[in-house]
Amino acid sequence: MDRRKKNTVVCMLFALLLSGGFVLCLFLPKPVYSDSERRGLSPMPKLSADSVWSGRYMSDFENYAADAFPFRDTFRSIKALTAGGIFYRQDNNGIYVSDGYIAAMEYPVNEDSMNRAVERFRYICEKYLTDENKVYLSVIPDKNCFLAKESGHLSIDYAEFERKMAKKADFAVYIPVSDLLEKEDYYKTDTHWRQEKIADVADRLAQSMNTALVQDYETHTLTEDFYGVYYGQAALPLMPDTLQYMTGEAIENCMVYDWQNGVEISVYDMEKALGRDPYEMFLSGSLSLITVENKNAGTDKELVLFRDSFGSSIAPLLVSGYSKITLVDIRYIHPDLLGQFIDFSGCDVLFLYSTLVLNHSETIK
Amino acid sequence: MLFSSITFLYYFLPLTIFMYFLVPEPFKNAVLLFCSLVFYAWGEPKYVLLMGLSILLGYGFGLLIEKYRKKKLGQIFCIISVVTTLSFLVYFKYADFFIYNFNAVTGFKIPLLHIALPIGISFYTFQIISYTLDVYRGEAAQKNVLHLAAYVAMFPQLIAGPIVRYSDIADQLKNRKHTWDMAAEGIRRFVIGLAKKILIANQLGELCNLFRNAQEKSVLFYWMYALAFSLHIYFDFSGYSDMAIGLGRIFGFRFQENFQYPYISKSITEFWRRWHISLGSWFRDYVYIPLGGNRVSKGRHVLNILIVWMLTGFWHGAAWNFIVWGLLFALFLTIEKLWLLKELKKSRVLSRIYTLFLVMISFVIFNAADLGQAVTDIGGLFGAGGIPLASAEALYYLKSFASVLALGVIGATPAVRNAVCYLSDRPVGGRIVNGVEPIALAALLFVMTAYLVDGSFNPFLYFRF
Repeated sequence: MDRRKKNTVVCMLFALLLSGGFVLCLFLPKPVYSDSERRGLSPMPKLSADSVWSGRYMSDFENYAADAFPFRDTFRSIKALTAGGIFYRQDNNGIYVSDGYIAAMEYPVNEDSMNRAVERFRYICEKYLTDENKVYLSVIPDKNCFLAKESGHLSIDYAEFERKMAKKADFAVYIPVSDLLEKEDYYKTDTHWRQEKIADVADRLAQSMNTALVQDYETHTLTEDFYGVYYGQAALPLMPDTLQYMTGEAIENCMVYDWQNGVEISVYDMEKALGRDPYEMFLSGSLSLITVENKNAGTDKELVLFRDSFGSSIAPLLVSGYSKITLVDIRYIHPDLLGQFIDFSGCDVLFLYSTLVLNHSETIK
Repeated sequence: MLFSSITFLYYFLPLTIFMYFLVPEPFKNAVLLFCSLVFYAWGEPKYVLLMGLSILLGYGFGLLIEKYRKKKLGQIFCIISVVTTLSFLVYFKYADFFIYNFNAVTGFKIPLLHIALPIGISFYTFQIISYTLDVYRGEAAQKNVLHLAAYVAMFPQLIAGPIVRYSDIADQLKNRKHTWDMAAEGIRRFVIGLAKKILIANQLGELCNLFRNAQEKSVLFYWMYALAFSLHIYFDFSGYSDMAIGLGRIFGFRFQENFQYPYISKSITEFWRRWHISLGSWFRDYVYIPLGGNRVSKGRHVLNILIVWMLTGFWHGAAWNFIVWGLLFALFLTIEKLWLLKELKKSRVLSRIYTLFLVMISFVIFNAADLGQAVTDIGGLFGAGGIPLASAEALYYLKSFASVLALGVIGATPAVRNAVCYLSDRPVGGRIVNGVEPIALAALLFVMTAYLVDGSFNPFLYFRF
């Protein structure tokens, strides 16, 4: 190709790409929700003299233009592949893949966040609990704990993190569980642990809280592929997970009540298993207050479990050891309201939180 | 509006190019002005009026200066014009700096004004001043206010330069050609500039931010930061200049080059001939030479250098670290002029090491939040405060950014350009280059779009000037 011809081709190609992009941006249907990122996409802003004069229209339009760009997920994949394949970046927006597992680089330690979490826990203890209550704390390490050492990514010092949390939360007995966990206990594409792999953790918690579990489970596997939350964030072509859940007599016969919506629900929500985030099948996902009653329990022990989403999948495994478990997510309900719903007398109280929440505790109310 | 945004690339630019080439020749400047005002208003709707006022004042004073050029009145109008235009810049950019320091010295408690800095004010102020001064020196004043407004507000160079002199494009405003070759040259330059900004500068900026937020500082991390920021500012700013020059070519203009591989310089003197050329030449022609330049006594010459470089530093930002940054260059330029330049010619390697070392140190000062942080950062480079030589964090980021840093180092030299030129000059190589270029440009555009879609945070560094 000679120079003149090349210049003409460059001009035509540039015009085609820009005008093609322009036409597609204008006329392709705009999605309102990104499944891969688990978030609503910015809508087209409304034009008004006030929004233009204040500059709000322009900044909203910038967000809209990036969110509504045609083939957004494909472009995000191109970016992730370029970052790793051409620039040899070790992580893409803090997300990395190691040994087929996708993980977020949890780093560095946020001491203020730890302090905040502990203070919120302390507030609950001082407001509602007496010497009759036994209080426990357990920290669930995130997947980065097991992957970073092998892959050379940055990670917090998890042992030190646990030690500090145990020391700060001097009102609670610390129950270590990290020695029972390994990377295989987590989903490859999601943040959470696999329910079928944490029976030993449930047993450790139960024993430490002086109760016994009946661990006679049957494992079920969902036929649909499970693409976890990290899958969308990584934007890389990776294999999906399979999602399994455990049933047993206590789990099948218990009664679950969702106080947030005032309805009875099931332990495993099969509708949610087919939804946007299948992990929400465990106790219907992010609900602020749930009670699980086990009328056939051989004990009258009750547990109040302050938890994050990791708690949703382990709580069913604890059911056989208690007559009632109350699950509270203080990211969605203010602790001051708990007195209206929970009678703490004589209950065991367990604060069970992942490092992901403890290190970013601004979400805790 | 940022060049490196989806809004610019896939909404504003196609529409602007379409409208520009659709209208007949006499209306092209009007279209360019209209689009430039939309471009500016997108980021600063209120300050469009301020820019409009500055342009009108420049236009009016230009006509008055021309009319009374040979008379005392012409000089008075010229002074009023410069003072008025500069007063906007001083008020919006430096008022709080002066108030803060006045309070610090006198103990007064005059409240700060907290005025938002209008985007590009430093650039268009200097363009308007250059216009009125050029008219005072004999250049014909622009009679058509649309043409003058199109020159000052022209979106390719409006917010980040290069500082285009009116005298350089006065003829092009009236008569300019549009050819496929020019457009292709402009597209190539624009895409390369955009790649410098998005693929290199932004990633290096990310490394700088990671350094600032690092939990474990180490000597290695400080040096990585110094290197990363030096490359970041070069690719950011020269990338923006490339985009401006490229867009100018598409619209038929030829803007002055702003960067000529400054990091291969063998002295600070040479560095400033290659770095932000339009600013350096502006200060040379409108400050340094009018002060007497080097045709004065040695003491006065040194004073002239100090004044020019203090102002150069101050132009970059209303903070003491920018002034110190400028004065540091004044010091070394003076030392070079008096003695060092001859010594530097003896060793190409040592002279480059000397230049790069000083430039890196200068950019550490430049990027510090204040003088205290500048001292801490420079100390960190030499292990002050008992920091370790390396840390796990520094080693991880070194591994993660090694390719980008290497690409930055290579891209800061003319090696790639020379290789492409070498190939192009050969019959077979030329055919290969011609065949590959359109595909490479399209691929780059795709990848950059992917980066823009993926990231919503993409600030442009030079907006604050």
